[in-house]
Amino acid sequence: MKILVAVKRVVDYNVKVRVKADGSGVDLANVKMAMNPFCEIAVEEAVRLKEKGIASEVVVVSIGSSAAQEQLRTALALGADRAVLVESNDELGPLAVAKLLKAVVDKEQPQLVILGKQAIDSDNNQTGQMLAALCGFAQGTFASRVEVAGDQLNVTREIDGGLQTVALKLPAIVTTDLRLNEPRYASLPNIMKAKKKPLDVVTPDALGVSTASTVKVLKVEAPAARSAGIKVGSVAELVEKLKNEAKVI
Amino acid sequence: MDFKLTEEQQMLQDTVARLVRDSYGFEQREHFYRSEPGFSREFWQQLGELGLCGMPFSEAHGGFGGSGVDNMLIMTELGRGLCLEPYLQSQIHAGGLLQQLGSVEQLERLLPVLISGELQLAVALEERQSHYQLLDVQTRAERVDGGWELSGRKVVVIGGHSAGMLLVSARTRGEARDEQGISLFLVDPQAEGLSRKVYPTIDGPKACDLFLERVLVRDTDLLGEPGQALAALRYQQGRAIAAQCAEAIGSMQEACQLTLDYLKTRQQFGKPIGKFQALQHRMVDMRTELELATSMAILAACVADQADSLERSRRLAAAKFIVTRAARFIAEQAIQLHGGIGMTWEYNLAHHAKRLVMLSHQLGDDDHHLSAYAELLHSA
Amino acid sequence: MDINYSAEELAFRDQVREFLRAELPADIAERVRLGKHLSKNDHQRWQRILNTRGWYAANWPVEFGGTGWSVVHKHIFEEECAAFGAPRLISFGVNMVAPVIIKFGSAEQKAYYLPRILDGSDWWCQGYSEPGAGSDLSSLKTRGVREGDHYVVNGQKTWTTLGQHANKIFCLVRTDPQAQQQRGISFLLIDMATPGISVRPIITLDGEHEVNEVFFDNVRVPVANLVGEANQGWTCAKYLLSHERTGQAGIGISKAALAHLKQVAAREGRLDDPLLRAQIAEVEMQLMAIEVSTLRILAAAQAGGVPGAESSILKIKGSEIRQAISHLLRKVIGPCALPFLEDELDPAFAGAPLHADYAAGPASQYLNLRKLSIYGGSNEIQKNIIAKMILDL
Repeated sequence: MKILVAVKRVVDYNVKVRVKADGSGVDLANVKMAMNPFCEIAVEEAVRLKEKGIASEVVVVSIGSSAAQEQLRTALALGADRAVLVESNDELGPLAVAKLLKAVVDKEQPQLVILGKQAIDSDNNQTGQMLAALCGFAQGTFASRVEVAGDQLNVTREIDGGLQTVALKLPAIVTTDLRLNEPRYASLPNIMKAKKKPLDVVTPDALGVSTASTVKVLKVEAPAARSAGIKVGSVAELVEKLKNEAKVI
Repeated sequence: MDFKLTEEQQMLQDTVARLVRDSYGFEQREHFYRSEPGFSREFWQQLGELGLCGMPFSEAHGGFGGSGVDNMLIMTELGRGLCLEPYLQSQIHAGGLLQQLGSVEQLERLLPVLISGELQLAVALEERQSHYQLLDVQTRAERVDGGWELSGRKVVVIGGHSAGMLLVSARTRGEARDEQGISLFLVDPQAEGLSRKVYPTIDGPKACDLFLERVLVRDTDLLGEPGQALAALRYQQGRAIAAQCAEAIGSMQEACQLTLDYLKTRQQFGKPIGKFQALQHRMVDMRTELELATSMAILAACVADQADSLERSRRLAAAKFIVTRAARFIAEQAIQLHGGIGMTWEYNLAHHAKRLVMLSHQLGDDDHHLSAYAELLHSA
Repeated sequence: MDINYSAEELAFRDQVREFLRAELPADIAERVRLGKHLSKNDHQRWQRILNTRGWYAANWPVEFGGTGWSVVHKHIFEEECAAFGAPRLISFGVNMVAPVIIKFGSAEQKAYYLPRILDGSDWWCQGYSEPGAGSDLSSLKTRGVREGDHYVVNGQKTWTTLGQHANKIFCLVRTDPQAQQQRGISFLLIDMATPGISVRPIITLDGEHEVNEVFFDNVRVPVANLVGEANQGWTCAKYLLSHERTGQAGIGISKAALAHLKQVAAREGRLDDPLLRAQIAEVEMQLMAIEVSTLRILAAAQAGGVPGAESSILKIKGSEIRQAISHLLRKVIGPCALPFLEDELDPAFAGAPLHADYAAGPASQYLNLRKLSIYGGSNEIQKNIIAKMILDL
C-alpha cells in the first residue's frame, strides 16, 4: 500500500506569536518555523504502518515556499521515503490546498492519504474533508486509532464525549487527532540518510491547478490579556469560590 | 560569510530541543537531581540511541563527524533545559582527549561504547592549588613494572561519580608547573587505592574528589606519549570552552525569556512592571549582552575544531571571557528583575541563575582568560 | 556556518586596499590617526578622490551614481577606509539627504541635487534639533508658513554639525501647527545664502568649533524645495534616521583606534603594565564581540532580512567601545595629555610637537567623542527602541 502524507510548515508551537501592528497578520520575520504538530503525527502513523509491513512506500508532500523543504526533510528523517514540494509563494486557503493535493493524489495514486486534522496557524480543519470530497474517497477524521484490516480501514474517531469507530473502504483519507500516536525523534543517522532521499519540486501550474482564493483575511487580533488572579485564604474558601463563583464543581 | 544552519543542523537542533522539552520539565529535573546518579540515565540512553552521543566523533571511528557548530547546537539545548548529564565532560572533553591521544587499541576498545552511550567518561584535571592552570599538576605517576602508580588528589571531577572510566592528569617527571612531564591516564574508578568523595555541585550536576594512593595503571591505559599531554589538554580545553559557551547561551536565552515574560505579567502600581523604564533598560541590557555573547559562542564554535593556532587560542579565551561576564550579568539582573520570587528554589529561573554564575568556575573564569588574552597581546 | 569572507569579498578587499594605498593623502591619514582637526579642504580633497573612483556614493542605487555594493562590500569598504586612516565621510549630503531625495524627491530635485552632492558643489548640513527638541524631535517649533509659492520659515536649529562649511541645509519645519505632533511637519531643502539665515558657532568643551546654531528670520523658501508631500516630513525624517543608524557601530574606526592605542602604549612603554594590558585586552575582546554581531546582522541583511532594531544594539555598544578606547588612549599618555595645544591640533600645524606627535589629540578627542552616545538617537533612546521593537514591552 502506498501512503501519501501532507505536511504544512507553520510557526513553531513554542513561539509566542506577535500580531503585526497593522493587524494584517502574524509577524513571521525571524520566527522559528516547524512542521505542524498534527502533521508530525500523520507522518509517524504512516511510518509505523510501513514498519508493520502494511505500507510499501510513504510519500510526503508539502505546499508552500521553497523553505518548506526543511519540513519535508524532517519528514524524510522521520522515515518517509520520498518527498514532493508543490512550490507556491501565494497565500493558499484550504480549498486551493485540497485541489493541489487532489492533483498529487491523481499522480501518485496512493491507497491512503493521511493529514493532520488542522494546522495550528490557521486552525481551519477543512483540507482533509475537502480532499476527500474532491477525490470521492471515504474519510475518517479526528483519528485516535487506525487499523488496516484487509482492504478496509478501521478508524476510531474522537467525537464529543466519546469515541466512534468507522470502517472505511480504501482508498481513503484519514486526519489525525492528538492522541493517535507519539511522534518519534529524528535520530542522527536518519537525519543523515534524509539528505540522500529524493525530493521533487513541482508548481501548481504544472499540476494544472488554479489557486485563486475566494477568501480574504480582513483582520488578525491578539487574544485579550489575561486578567490578574486572586489569592484565597484557605482551602474552604477555594472550594467555595470554585463552587459558587467559577461554578466548576 | 554565512550564519545559517544547514537543513541537517536545523533538524538536529529540532530533535534535541524537543527531546529536552519533553524530558526536562522543572519537576522532572528536580527528580533527576534528587536521584542516585544525579541525572537521568534514561535520558542519557536516549542521547545514545538517537546518535547524539556519537556526534563529536569522527566517522572513521563510528561517530558522525560533528563540527564545533553541531556541538554548539546540542549544548545550547542542553543548557536551555539545565540538563544534568555530563555530556560536555564525557563526550566532548574526555572524548576529544581520547580521540586525540588514544592508540588504535584504546580507540577500538572505548569509542564504540562511548558512542553508544554505554560508557561515560570524566576528566580529572583540577587540583586544590591549580586554579585552572593545566600545567599545575602535583599528582604523581611513578614508573613501576608494567605500568604506573598514581598518587595525589583531584578536585571537582564533574560526572566522576558515575563515570565508567576517568581521565586523570599526573606528572611522570618534572616539578609542578613544568610544561613537560604531564601525562594522561585512563583510570578505572574501581581500582585499588582510589576513593571518591561524591557531592552535588551548587548549580546541579554531581561531582567528586578523587583520592589516589598508589593506584596501579597499566601501560595500555596511558594516553599518548608519557610526559607529552599538555598540548592535547590545552587544545581539548578549547573545545570544551566552546561547548560550554554554547551551553551558557541556552541558559541565558531561557533566563532572558523567563524574565521578559515576568515583566509582562507581574503587576505593581496598577500596571505590568515592564512598563517602567528603569526595568525596561535593565532588560535591554540583558538582551544586548546575550546578543554579544551569542556572537562569541558562534565564533568559538567555528574555531573550536580548527588546527591549534594563536588566533584560535585568542578567540576561545575571548569567547569564554565575554560569555562568562554576560552570564553573570544576566543571572544577577534576572534575579533582581524578578524580585523575591527569583530567589526561590521552586522557581526555574533561580537554577538558571546559579548555573550561569557557576559556569565560570569551570575551565577558567573571566580573570583567568582575561589574563591569558592579555599575555597574548604581546605576541599579536 | 562560516565566519570568513568569500573569495570574491576578499578580492574586493584587496582592491580597496590597493586604492587606499595609492590614493589616500598621507597628511590627511596622519591627522586622522592622531586625532587632530581636519580642514574643510581635507574633507573635500578626499571626497573628490572617492568620487573620481566612483566610490563616494556607496549607498546609492547605481542609476544615480552609486556603487551597487552589497552590505558586506560596504562594510569591508568602511573597515578598510578606517584602517588606513581615511576621514569619516561627512554624511549629511551623501548618506542622509541624498537617500531621502532618492526615495521621496521629485525628478527635478533628483536631477539637480544628486550630481551636486557627488561633485562637491554642495555641502549639506542638518536642521533637525532645536533648543526645545532633542530626543523628542517631533516637538520641534520652527515654523514654515505658506505664502504663495514660498514657505516663510522662522525659528532656530541647533547642534548643526559643520554648518559653518555648508551652503545647503535640510530642515524639518512645522507647516501645520494644528496637526498632532508628528503630522504637520515638512521636509525642506534650504539654501544657506537665503536672506534671513544666520549661523553662530557653538564651541564644544574640547575647544573645537564643530557645531553651530542656525537662526531663521523670515526666510523665504520656494515651495519647489519641499521634499515629498507637505506635512509628511516625519516619514522622511524617520527614513533618514534609519540610514543614519546603520553603520553607527563604527567597527572599522574602533579597530583603527585600538591599533593606534596599542602602538602608543608600546611607545610609552606601558604594555608591560599588567593592569593596562588587561584593560586593553578587555576592550579588544569586546570589540571582537561587536564585530561578530555586526557580521551576523550584515549576513541577515544580505539574505534579505531587514536590519531592524538590532542596529540599535550595535549603536549602543559601538559608541561605548569607541569611547572606552578614547578613554584608555588619554590615560596611556599620562600627564602629557594635559597640555591644551590648539596649534598642534590645527590642520596646518607643521612644527615640532611639544611631547610626542600622538600626545596632543587624545584628551580633546576623548571629550569630543562623548557626543557618540548622544547623537543619532541617544543611547537611552536606542534602549527605548529595543524595549519596544524587540522586547515588545
